[in-house]
Amino acid sequence: MSDALLRFTGVSVRHEVYDDAGDVGYGIPRPHEITAELRAGEVVLLLGPSGCGKSTLTLTANGLIPHVIGAKMDGTVTVAGAYTAGTTVPELARDVAMVFQDPDAQIVTASVLDEVCFGPENLLVPFAEVLERAEQALRLVGLWDRRDDDPGILSGGGRQRLAIACALALRTPVLVLDEPTANLDPAGVEEVYRTLRAVAAGRDRAVLLVEHNLDAAIEFVDRVIVLDGDGRVVLDGPARTILTDHVDELLTLGVWLPVATLAALRLRSVGVALDPLPLTPGELAAALDTVPALPPPRDTPRSTARSKAAIAVRGLTIRRGPVTVLDDITLDIGAGEFVAVAGANGAGKTTLAQALAGVTPSRKVTITGPAGFVFQNPEHQFLTNRVADELAYGTTDTARVEDLLTRLDLRELRDVHPFLLSGGQKRRLSVGAALVTRPRVLVLDEPTFGQDRARAAELLDLLDGLHRDGTTIVVVSHDMHLIAEYATRLLVLDGGRVLADRTPAEIYADPALLADTGLRPPPLARAARTLVRHPAWHTVTRLADLPVLEPSR
Amino acid sequence: MIDSILSLRSYNPVVKVLAPIPAMVVAGLSRDLWTPAALTVIALVMLLAFGRLRGRALLWTLAGPPLMVAVLTLSFGVWIDREKVGGWSGALEAGLATGLRVSAVLTLALIAGLTSEGTDLVRSMITHLRMPYRIGYAGFAAMRFVPRFRHDLEIIRLAHRVRGVSTGRGPVATTKRYSGYVVPLLAGAMRHGDRVSLAMEARGFGAYPARTERRRVPLRARDAVLALWLLLLCLVPTLPGVLG
Repeated sequence: MSDALLRFTGVSVRHEVYDDAGDVGYGIPRPHEITAELRAGEVVLLLGPSGCGKSTLTLTANGLIPHVIGAKMDGTVTVAGAYTAGTTVPELARDVAMVFQDPDAQIVTASVLDEVCFGPENLLVPFAEVLERAEQALRLVGLWDRRDDDPGILSGGGRQRLAIACALALRTPVLVLDEPTANLDPAGVEEVYRTLRAVAAGRDRAVLLVEHNLDAAIEFVDRVIVLDGDGRVVLDGPARTILTDHVDELLTLGVWLPVATLAALRLRSVGVALDPLPLTPGELAAALDTVPALPPPRDTPRSTARSKAAIAVRGLTIRRGPVTVLDDITLDIGAGEFVAVAGANGAGKTTLAQALAGVTPSRKVTITGPAGFVFQNPEHQFLTNRVADELAYGTTDTARVEDLLTRLDLRELRDVHPFLLSGGQKRRLSVGAALVTRPRVLVLDEPTFGQDRARAAELLDLLDGLHRDGTTIVVVSHDMHLIAEYATRLLVLDGGRVLADRTPAEIYADPALLADTGLRPPPLARAARTLVRHPAWHTVTRLADLPVLEPSR
Repeated sequence: MIDSILSLRSYNPVVKVLAPIPAMVVAGLSRDLWTPAALTVIALVMLLAFGRLRGRALLWTLAGPPLMVAVLTLSFGVWIDREKVGGWSGALEAGLATGLRVSAVLTLALIAGLTSEGTDLVRSMITHLRMPYRIGYAGFAAMRFVPRFRHDLEIIRLAHRVRGVSTGRGPVATTKRYSGYVVPLLAGAMRHGDRVSLAMEARGFGAYPARTERRRVPLRARDAVLALWLLLLCLVPTLPGVLG
């Protein structure tokens, strides 16, 4: 086919690995022998379990692999007919534009307009056309009015929209996005996909997307390519067909599915068959309303007993310069609660979390028993050169260290340097370091930030286990699905005040509150609230609320 | 307004940085009181009349030089060996001369410092001094690095304190504590630097020997006049002789 804009032919990538002597070798191929073509007007989503080489494949599209990143590439990649191996990365910028995960790591200049002009200027586009391209791109992402601002003062979603505008200004036939929303809050995710839908509406370019948040991406995608754990292509076809006809294969592979689809699968086990399988909250609601009668949702009693206070806060106010970060906060957190703290960027979430764990000591906060705190970036906490030493730091309880090594699945890695662990292992180790002292209260700041769904789920199962053993858990998070599934109580912060303090289900039923605070209900709650025929289901917010045959767990 | 010939901001930053250097050398090497005093006053008048200063910058320009001269005069007067310079008045005079020399060099440097943007200086150096643009833009990227670095350091300190790292005082405890920050700080910085450079290359950085420079920093006749004037300031030491 001559109209393929991006073509992979037998592409395998082996990353450089260093052995103990410091010699370079090459690891196992991830991805493995990928052959695929993308044509104009297509939006293609790459799916696959963690570590199968999705991000790596995106880096071959503009020649970063093999030109810049130390890796060995077999096979060929052609962009608009030219081999990437025979051109340089900067020259390929005429044909392929990339949007990466971290918006902060893509900003070079000091103003929004300069930033968008940076790419075309590098390509020696004439002066007048640079401005014309910049204006068109900024208007499309809705940032033209902010062209003179410093990119640093934009919100997370705003900065990622800026990164998209920068990619658009290159006017390339191919656009590649690698987890563009992994670092964003719900409002930011929505902004980015609204923008991307507008971009794709032009139907003039090929888009390759890696995204774990399928609920956000699914309406934007035409075609899905699925890789297995070995990095090989196992499925390639229209998004809807792949996701509905091969749903069991995808589940076996460990690929995350849209929540609406997961809900439908769960209902199938109690005899409510929805055909075809819904992919979006809207489709789920429509499908449920065609069913004459539904079994009542499960009424799972939650431990909301607040008999003994684990943390008591009385009139806590924290000022930083002229800004009041926390404004007269009074609350009690009972022993054994799982509390989530949510709110827009800058609402004071991290400051409150640090006060609750005693990281920043205050007379206004009383904590019963030892407390542990887990920072957003695990690396910031590491102090030693070995995993086992990291857990043993500041304790003489060797039995506890051994127990944690087993529990966190880090036993084989006990002699490894903490910085050499994978992202998920680093996260487990940082939680373990906080658990050594057997805290009664564990506070975590954005524990799933920048992590994929598989790692996030792994961490949450760990937290859920601790919670069931009686540990009080406080989590700062943007992830509404996580909050809905696990938390027994949700604090919504806004401008340093607690705006709401109720169960997640009650808060998700309050659209005005959600809109005011930049939060979004999780997909399942969105579907349940719009049901016409089944008013009893309006309170459903989590998968665990759905009826099942046997009581689970 | 910003392009007015009466505003120092409209002049080329490279000229403002380079042209005062000879006068700064003359001031620094002078042994009399007249030369540095005259140069300080000239630079101050230029800044106040044509610098369009506001707020804090204006306040510091007005209060800074006299304050500095006063402090240096007194401290040198106390510190210097009075026997060698002929008592208190000699000591104070030596202090005054030093204070004036320092303030002359500083105010001459402020002509560029307070009236130009760092980015324009870099752009002008690329255009007019033929500096490779890669170096200039590496500088831009590095400037964006600083606040991130500071934020990271703050969090790492907090994280280590939470883990129970000793909060002891004294140079040994402090050195030990800071050495623990180095690895996480560098790991974070290197990863960030890596990502930034990938993102820059992916946007065509380095594709050609030149780039389109959207914001041209002009080099005009007025810049030649300013350069000539600043060079002529080297003749200030000879003025008392000419004037008698």
